[in-house]
Amino acid sequence: MGSNNQAAMAAKKKLAADFLRKGVITAVLSGMFYGTYTAFMTYAMSMGIWSTWYGENSGLSAFAVMFLLSALGAAATDTCSAGWALGIATFKGKIGDFFRCIKTKPGMVMVGAAVIGGPIASTCYVVGLQQAGSLVVPISALCPAIGAILGRILFKQELNARMMLGIFICLVASFMIGLTGLGDDAPANLFLGLFFGLLAAFGWGLEGCVAGYGTSMIDPEIGITIRQVTSSLSNLIILVPLFSMISGVNPVSMIAATFTDATSLIWFVVAGFGSYFGFMLWYKGNAMCGAALGMSCNGMFSFWGPFFCWLILGIMFGRSGWTIPPIAWAAAVIMVIGIFTIAMNPLDLFKKQSEGA
Amino acid sequence: MKPLNYAILKHFTNGKESCVEDVMAALKDQYSTFKAFNKADILNALMTAEANGLLEEARFDLDDAGEVRVYFRAHEEGMATINKYIKD
Repeated sequence: MGSNNQAAMAAKKKLAADFLRKGVITAVLSGMFYGTYTAFMTYAMSMGIWSTWYGENSGLSAFAVMFLLSALGAAATDTCSAGWALGIATFKGKIGDFFRCIKTKPGMVMVGAAVIGGPIASTCYVVGLQQAGSLVVPISALCPAIGAILGRILFKQELNARMMLGIFICLVASFMIGLTGLGDDAPANLFLGLFFGLLAAFGWGLEGCVAGYGTSMIDPEIGITIRQVTSSLSNLIILVPLFSMISGVNPVSMIAATFTDATSLIWFVVAGFGSYFGFMLWYKGNAMCGAALGMSCNGMFSFWGPFFCWLILGIMFGRSGWTIPPIAWAAAVIMVIGIFTIAMNPLDLFKKQSEGA
Repeated sequence: MKPLNYAILKHFTNGKESCVEDVMAALKDQYSTFKAFNKADILNALMTAEANGLLEEARFDLDDAGEVRVYFRAHEEGMATINKYIKD
C-alpha cells in the first residue's frame, strides 16, 4: 500500500510538472510567433500596392498614411488570422462550440477584450511600427506591467513592492530604448511611434486582464477564433471606413485593393498564421500557468520581435535598417528581467530547485 | 446544448468530486461525438480550470492500469464563479 502511495505521488508530481512545463513552453512560443507575425506583416506592408501607398506619389494625406494604412494593415493581418482560426476550429470539430460560446457571458467578455486588443491596440501597434520601426516592439511589451496595474485597479489583483520594482525596471528599459533613437539615423517620428506603442501596450494589458476571465472557461482555440473574427470585422467595418472618411478616400476600393493584391496578400496570409498562433498560445499559456507567469513568458517578444525583424527582414530579405543598436538589445534583456520580476520572485526559482533536489 | 468546456465545468457544480472518467461518463450521451471529447483534452481542461482557481484537487490514486487518476471538485468560490458566468 505504501509503495502504491509513493508511486501515485510520483506520478501526480510528474503530471503537474509536465503541465507546467507545457504551459511555459506554450507561453514562450506565443512570444516567438508574435515576433514572426510582426516581421511578416511589416514585410507585407512594403510589397505590391503598399509600396505605392507609402510612396511619395500615392496621393494619400499624411493622416491616411499614418492611420488608415496602419488600420488597413492590421485589418488584413487579423482577417487572414480569423480565416486560419475558423479553418483550424472547423478541422478540429470546434466550430459548433464557437457559435455556442460567442453568445454567452464569457463569450461577450472575449468580444470586449478583442475590441480593445484588436482594432484599437493593433492599429496603435502598426502606427508605432511604421513611425518608429521595431523599437516599438519592446515598448509594446510593457503590456504585462500595464496589465498588472490594471488588474489591481479593475479586479483588485495583487500589486506588491516586488511587482512595482519590476514595472520600474521595465520603464528604465523603455527609456534606454528611447535614447537609442536620438542618434543621426533616428526615425523622423520616433517619439510619436513610441507613444503609439505605449497605447498598444495599454490595450493589450487591458485585454490580458479582461480575457483572463474568459479563457479560464473557454477553450483557447475557440477564444482566439472569437478574438480574431471580432477584431477583423470591427477593423473592416468601423476603423477602416472611419479613417477613410476622414482621409477622403473610398474605403471599399482601399479594402478591395488590399485583398486583391496577390504580391502582398500572400505575406499577410503568413503573418495571419503567426498572429493566430501568437495570440492563441498567449491565451492558452495564460490559462495554463496563470496570467502573471504566462504574460511574462509571452513578454519575451520584446526580444523575439526585433530578433525576427532582423532575421526575416534584414537577413532573409536583405532589407537595411533592421539592425538593432546594442543598447536596445541590452534594454530588451533588462525588460525581460523586469517582466519576470513582476510575475514572480526570482528567489523562488532557486527555492524550487533546492526543494526538488 | 452548452459548449463542451462549459459542460465540463458545470458538471462540478453538483458539489461532488470527479475524475476525468467520471466527467466522460456523465457527458458521453451529448458529447461523445466531439473530437475534443477524449481523456487528454478533458484532463487539460480540468487542470487549466484548477490553475485558474475554478476547481481544486480533491485526491488522487492509481487506476487499474497504474496511471495516476486525479479527482477534482469545485470549491465554494469556484462554484459561484462558474454559476455566475455559465447559466443552465
